[in-house]
Amino acid sequence: MTVATRFKSGRTGPGDAYVSDHSGSPHARFMRLTSYALVPLGVLSAWWILGLAGKSLEGVRAEIGRPFPALVLLAFGVVGMIHARQGMDDIIEDYVHDKVLKAQAIVANTWASRAIAAIWVLAILLIAAPK
Amino acid sequence: MADADTDGLAARRPLSPHLTVFKPILTMMMSIAHRITGAGLYVGMALLALFLLGAAVGGGAFSAVSWIGSGFIGNLLVLMIVWAIFHHLLGGVRHALWDRGLYMDAKGRELLAQGTLVGGILLTLLVFIFKTLAG
Ligand code: HEM
Ligand code: HEM
Repeated sequence: MTVATRFKSGRTGPGDAYVSDHSGSPHARFMRLTSYALVPLGVLSAWWILGLAGKSLEGVRAEIGRPFPALVLLAFGVVGMIHARQGMDDIIEDYVHDKVLKAQAIVANTWASRAIAAIWVLAILLIAAPK
Repeated sequence: MADADTDGLAARRPLSPHLTVFKPILTMMMSIAHRITGAGLYVGMALLALFLLGAAVGGGAFSAVSWIGSGFIGNLLVLMIVWAIFHHLLGGVRHALWDRGLYMDAKGRELLAQGTLVGGILLTLLVFIFKTLAG
């Protein structure tokens, strides 16, 4: 730990409101940037996800097998889970106060979010990649 | 991140928010709903990932996961995931507007709260109707 002697940042002017010396600002900015990408991805994905309901195996494969839905759902899964990992970190930090438990929860979240994204990508590639 | 104190002082202090004494206000409910739909989507994405993997492997693997996407539970689950996406998405748009200082007055934030609630349900219904007509 170093002792900061100079005021490096802070609310120094218009547009600088999200600048600080700690990790909270990049974190907040990251949530916002990923959420911009997730708006178009989310709308399209919601459309195709609802289309999966009640489908047979062939129906599901036919829907995911088309290149455009496959690519959009792929991006939604990856960007969504990166965003969800940071979002879940926020939730853990808000509610889990025990130091050890919190550290364990953060690690569990890291690997769970990676696993979900990995399974998501693998499944779509298995269905949609040209054979 | 901020660590809670461990000498028990925090436990003895009255903390805000007191869940039981505050009057539920729509803007507050929508703030909480944003968090609940975010956490819900985390679980929803995990279930959908398993469903997709089952569909990729096929055969018995698909039979094992088909409950996630079909039948009463599956249809309800998919509908709830789609609603959660739309509700959480509009909540995100609301955050983006607030980040720019827009709609922050009493009227504006009430409008956004109502828009999030009604819009999420409406978009879900709209997609549902279109999908039903198309399929
Ligand atoms: C569909 C487009 C999406 C948009 C526009 C969006 C937007 C946002 C925004 C702006 C935040 C930050 C809220 C804040 O600063 O308090 C947030 C939080 C969060 N998001 Fe999303 N998101 C989307 C999709 C998703 C998905 C697919 C997931 C899960 C897989 C997810 C999980 C979360 C979680 C867990 C949080 C933290 C909730 C909290 O701190 O209260 N989001 N979202
Ligand atoms: C039933 C009582 C309440 C519950 C369960 C609750 C729950 C929550 C949750 C889940 C969040 C995170 C979501 C977000 O960041 O958008 C939040 C944020 C917040 N709440 Fe509450 N809340 C309650 C009452 C209150 C009250 C009465 C106040 C103030 C008088 C308040 C002030 C705040 C503030 C300032 C934030 C941070 C917003 C942000 O980071 O964007 N809450 N609350």
